[in-house]
Amino acid sequence: MGSIATFRANVHQVVRVWTFTLGIYMKSEFFVLTAGVQPVIFATIAFLLFQVGGEAAGPQTLLFAALGTGMMGVWSTTLFGGGGAIAWQRWESTLELLVAAPRRYDLTLLGQTLATTTFGFYSMIATLAWGWLLFGMPIDANFPLILPLALLVAVIGLGIMGMLLATTFVLYRHANALSNLLEYPVWIATGMLVPLALLPGWLGPISWVLLPTWAVEAIRGAAIGSEPPWLAIGMCMVLTLVYYVIARRVLVYVIDKARRDATLNLA
Amino acid sequence: MTAIPVSSVPSSPGSLRANWRIFWNGGRLSYTALFNWAQPSIYIPTLLGAPTFQILFFAALGSYATGMDPAFFAIGNAVQVCSMAGIYGMTMAVANERWFGTLPVLMASPANRAALFGGRFIPFIVNGFLVSAYGFLLCWIFLGVRFDAATLGVMVLAMIVTAFSCSAIGAVQGGISLRLRDGLFGANLLVFLFLLFCGVNIPLAALPPWMQAVSQVLPFTHGLAAVRAAIDGATLSEVGGLIATEFLIGLVYAVAAFFLFRWLERSAYRNATLDAR
Repeated sequence: MGSIATFRANVHQVVRVWTFTLGIYMKSEFFVLTAGVQPVIFATIAFLLFQVGGEAAGPQTLLFAALGTGMMGVWSTTLFGGGGAIAWQRWESTLELLVAAPRRYDLTLLGQTLATTTFGFYSMIATLAWGWLLFGMPIDANFPLILPLALLVAVIGLGIMGMLLATTFVLYRHANALSNLLEYPVWIATGMLVPLALLPGWLGPISWVLLPTWAVEAIRGAAIGSEPPWLAIGMCMVLTLVYYVIARRVLVYVIDKARRDATLNLA
Repeated sequence: MTAIPVSSVPSSPGSLRANWRIFWNGGRLSYTALFNWAQPSIYIPTLLGAPTFQILFFAALGSYATGMDPAFFAIGNAVQVCSMAGIYGMTMAVANERWFGTLPVLMASPANRAALFGGRFIPFIVNGFLVSAYGFLLCWIFLGVRFDAATLGVMVLAMIVTAFSCSAIGAVQGGISLRLRDGLFGANLLVFLFLLFCGVNIPLAALPPWMQAVSQVLPFTHGLAAVRAAIDGATLSEVGGLIATEFLIGLVYAVAAFFLFRWLERSAYRNATLDAR
């Protein structure tokens, strides 16, 4: 098969898995809660807190909070969906079939984690709509042409990060427990709602290697920033590439080892 | 492997001794067998790790957004984290009977239902209290929260009563979960709603009137107010009313959960849906 035909087949595979997984998430009460209800509750807490703060609760602050809580929802969905992706395939006994299939397994996983992140972006729509409807928050973007690009790199980057989570979490027997643990720390370390400048300095280097830091920076920069967020967009792209290389290597190692040891379906 | 010692001395069904055994041993067994998070590899990240970062997150967010003392948010969340044990734990302790296939056996037994049901509360009240106590230890070490030694006992009492009322609403959720496809949906929702409604992060006075009204019938609101007051030096006579109200709210939820459980049991017998999923 020629390289163009291979490329088309690979894209087709990712798109098919993506649409199929999105269909599953739309029927999952857990993911509807994570991507739809939880962000709205957190957005309400943030809006009310900023209102208690008084002067700080201007339209820009509400938009800052809506985008931040929306991204928190995206992270939660990515964390639980990506982190549990391979583990769920094990529980549902589809992992052997997917790995044994002649198609590339990493592309199947990529489609699955991209769907997780795409579904997670419903959080952003939910928090923006909630802020607009109930708190009179204006929906406006300082750089409307850059915003779609920022959203695109954020979706792809977080999808790849989900793939990295899937391949690494599978090494731990209780992937869900890791997901429970890592929800709040990443919200803190990536400046989703509290600016990093106000947090201890040692968190800085940690935040730089976390893709959600740059994803929320890119989206916020395009929406309410004073300058185009090119640095954040660029960093998203670089980290996406780095995460993909690591995720693919780990995946090859994990699958090979599981096949050698005949432990593919043993959680 | 660890086995739970269960007395082998026979006792007549319905006797006080039999009911006590069902209450005590059944409660311990339900915690060990049905609470998925009891093992250290899940307990530590979920019931100690997650609350740690929840407290730090809201302390940072609250003080940044409002300019208030981070201690306010740290205390609220240190109390609220007991819901992780109370809500999820009780939901699992009731609903997992069906998921693990033990519900028909349990329902077929002549065991006293009140003893059977009541015994499940104890481990989760203790667990909830311990998670909250751990939260307060963090507050003391990292967030500058200081306690008044003279009223520490009042604070502990308020925490235990709050853990009870939280477990009680968790039992209601557990009963509802017996009929649902995904039992943890409601449990997750409750935990998040407590963060919003009960004065955990937002002072009650700052909530819209309808939210204040809802908060009055939820667990945490009065117990948390009592804990905050005790930390500020209030005595039992000053916060006794709040603690009693929290206890009453818990009792109402516990009784409601018991009757819900009985109703679901009878309905399942009638419709042959005891083990239906």
